[in-house]
Amino acid sequence: MLTRDEAQQLAKKLLGYSTFPECQVTITSWEQAYTRFANNGITTASFNLRNTVSIVSTREGRTGSYGVNDLDDASLKAAVKKAEELAAIAPPDPERLPAIGAQTFADTHDYDEATAVARAPQMIPHVKTIIDLAMKQKLVAAGLIERSHRVTAVANKNGLFGFHRAADSQLTTTIRMPDGSSSGWAGQPSTKLSEIDSARLGATASEKCLRWRKPQKIDPGNYTVLMEPTAAGDLVRLMAGAFSARETDEGRTFLSKRGGGTLLGEKVFPEFVTLRTDPFDPRQPALPWTNDLLPTRAISWIEKGVIANLAYDRYWANKTGKPATPGAGGRGGGGGFGFGAQGALTLEGGKASMDELIASVDRGLLITHFWYIRGVNQQTLQQTGLTRDGLFLIENGKITTPVMNFRFLESPVRLLKNTKMLGPAMRVRGLEGGMMIAPALVATDFPLPSISDAI
Amino acid sequence: MLTRRHFLAASAASAALAGELFAAPKDSDTPSADLEKLGDIALREAKKSKATYCDIRIVRLRDQRVGLRLSPERGTNKTLAVPNVFEDSSFGFGVRVIVNGAWGFAASPVVTPEEIARITGEAVIIAKANASVQPKPVQLAPVKAYRTRWETPHDKDPLAIPMQEKLELLRAAAEEVKKNPRVFGGAATLNLRSEDKYFASSEGSSIQQLILQIYGNVNATAVDRAKGISRSRTYSPTQASAGWEYVPEMNLRENAGRIREEVVEHLSAPPVKPGKKDLVLLPSHLCLTVHESVAHPTELDRALGYEANYAGTSYITMDKIGKRIASEHCTFIGDRISPRALGTTGYDDEGVKATRFTIIDKGIFRNYQTTREQAHLVGDKESHGCCQADSWATVPFQRMPNVWLQAGPRETTLESLIAGIDDGVLIDGQGNYSIDQQRYNFQFGGDAFWEIKNGKKGNMISRVAYQGRTPDFWQSCDGTAGQAYWQQFGLTGDAKGEPTQINSISHGCSPTRFRNVNVLITD
Repeated sequence: MLTRDEAQQLAKKLLGYSTFPECQVTITSWEQAYTRFANNGITTASFNLRNTVSIVSTREGRTGSYGVNDLDDASLKAAVKKAEELAAIAPPDPERLPAIGAQTFADTHDYDEATAVARAPQMIPHVKTIIDLAMKQKLVAAGLIERSHRVTAVANKNGLFGFHRAADSQLTTTIRMPDGSSSGWAGQPSTKLSEIDSARLGATASEKCLRWRKPQKIDPGNYTVLMEPTAAGDLVRLMAGAFSARETDEGRTFLSKRGGGTLLGEKVFPEFVTLRTDPFDPRQPALPWTNDLLPTRAISWIEKGVIANLAYDRYWANKTGKPATPGAGGRGGGGGFGFGAQGALTLEGGKASMDELIASVDRGLLITHFWYIRGVNQQTLQQTGLTRDGLFLIENGKITTPVMNFRFLESPVRLLKNTKMLGPAMRVRGLEGGMMIAPALVATDFPLPSISDAI
Repeated sequence: MLTRRHFLAASAASAALAGELFAAPKDSDTPSADLEKLGDIALREAKKSKATYCDIRIVRLRDQRVGLRLSPERGTNKTLAVPNVFEDSSFGFGVRVIVNGAWGFAASPVVTPEEIARITGEAVIIAKANASVQPKPVQLAPVKAYRTRWETPHDKDPLAIPMQEKLELLRAAAEEVKKNPRVFGGAATLNLRSEDKYFASSEGSSIQQLILQIYGNVNATAVDRAKGISRSRTYSPTQASAGWEYVPEMNLRENAGRIREEVVEHLSAPPVKPGKKDLVLLPSHLCLTVHESVAHPTELDRALGYEANYAGTSYITMDKIGKRIASEHCTFIGDRISPRALGTTGYDDEGVKATRFTIIDKGIFRNYQTTREQAHLVGDKESHGCCQADSWATVPFQRMPNVWLQAGPRETTLESLIAGIDDGVLIDGQGNYSIDQQRYNFQFGGDAFWEIKNGKKGNMISRVAYQGRTPDFWQSCDGTAGQAYWQQFGLTGDAKGEPTQINSISHGCSPTRFRNVNVLITD
């Protein structure tokens, strides 16, 4: 992969081809190795390499972008020219601000050499561990182990240069009964492949599968729920975009007040709810710069239940006379969720153990994780989706009965308002691909309006 | 691994290789000789390594995205026009081999003879390692060898059209949306994709294809600050595999005025009264329901557990072949040959000639979607041609074809479907959508909703979603309009597989009626 010096040379070459006053280049190089398995055997495995160069050229407020992965000199020159041609015919962008100058980007702590170079000899033993465990119990395992290594460099004509490299890995497994009558899941993302614990994951997924056999139908309705960390992360991470200052000011997020104004500084959630971005947490990879190329730093969005910050990109900060927010994303769009806080999100955990959380529930449901979560209302952040791979009734502080899956219809905003207890936080990655650091949580009144027959 | 040497070696690669490789005399019916030479390197290298099968895909993807957003400037009455002009190109190759009965795959963006040989070796190493955890050897259904070219029928290359023409088209549509001062923001987008693809296999095929796709939309947003609500409305014309000559048929500007007025109406539309209701679903909406509840559960890899860890399995298990799973009004066809559909191609990514086949015949389940590797698992002698990868860098696997719901009798019209309803909802466009991992329980919203009362379409209503159980829902279908109403719509973000791959396909249908569906009120 590219070193810092080589990336800088490549960036210099690209900027040298530019004839416009402003030019920004982003270079990425990405290498991935993975092995998929299903029905107790390997199904596919891949080793692939990708690189991209993205050029953004601007003159008199007119901007054009061109991306290419051919890295020969002629292709790169042609790409810079193409970006300039696109810019020349684009209308001026009234929201564009002049390019920023050199910045100092702090080092993140998300690169592990052994993970970055791992191949089949380091990954297949994990697959074998899980398949052997499943077969011993006459169960059927499916899953994925993957690792990636990414280098990203940014540069512009004002002397800005940033370089970042990160490695990441994950193992997930779903273990099912041979007749499809039960299913259990476990997963672990880690910036260090050496920390992946396949034996533990296999044991967790198979135990859930065996325990979830013959799930009972119980009535749809509002339940107290104990969400495992992956389930909590599946929903809470969807709040990030709503912290966009622009969309909030424009009346389009849950942080907008009716009639104007925002909830900034107001206590909206329980005292123990703190949601923040920390790009320097070694447990999850994050770029050290924002979409606006400002340095990131740790920032709280909710601090002890109070709305602590909104995410101002450079344009909206300039428009409103506020400082741009480190940890914020790029410009808001014209009707979507917008781009507010993103990456390296952490919902701080509490002190209760999983056993204590279970013991705190008189009657409720233990949720392993969710599937197919989609937004229903952009403003309230109401979502729908389904429980999956292990749903259990808790009665009088004890797990008693496997129950059939439910569809939920709820906003993470109301979920956090209704949260009563938090467990220790850990890094999680849901089936939808989003990741954050999240704790197990107990919340009341979680709406589960219909039953799903799916196993 | 991609060493520094390999990354930088690309600088020494022959300049503008992709453009030259895929260029060929317009009327040529055989692939470029240079592509065939590169393909041969992988096939020879694999044979030397005792691979029993090898294929290589050399692919160039080009993607142009143009957008224009009209937003109010803070603190003034001015409307700002914010453009977005982006073009992307990706070129590389992927090699697939079978060694000792197991698959191996490797891919690289450096398209040189040396790198093709090296990467083929990497694929062989992976296959050998996988063979140690391979319960049964891979078995491929036979396929004919083809040496040919295929292109999306087109007159004008969409990427060659001047950018100015595209921006003017979008500006006209977005400005039409903003003509009503109650509209907060308007936006219009256009996406143009071009995929040059060369495929060669150790079984003698050598196939060059060019696939073009065009899609776009116009969007309107309205905000009521006093009530604290915002609503949007989108016009998405049929997403098509076509040349630029299709663009005037998209009628972006012509529909912009309609969505401008509808978004304002939507903002003050009363909420639905939840309960059991009859639904008439327009093709722009039903295409997504077909996708999620018919196309996905009839994928054979799901039914057999190969997607259990992510996309899930299927309620349509093998024992359902020959059984009723929908009403007699429901005949579904898998199709990769119909004009303008996004999933239409000449050959799939393992060289199987595109075809069409019955999935559900008058409510009876007949056939799964299959690849060469899967055909024998259902007793078929050949694949249904459903193998696809979303890039040169990804592994081809089973992806859905276009799936059509056949039109009903000619005398069934939209009006006659509505006329048969006392209390119902008419739904247009796509909103939220979610379905469980076996495709039983679903929830769909929409982009716009109208009340149906006493056989007549009434005013717009809001906050509608419906939930159902797939087999019950399709059994409750009691009519679909005739061919005159039939329309296809494309979906461009169909996700499946691990790591996730994206697929583009079309689904077509006529307005269709469903009885006694559970309608919810959402936020």
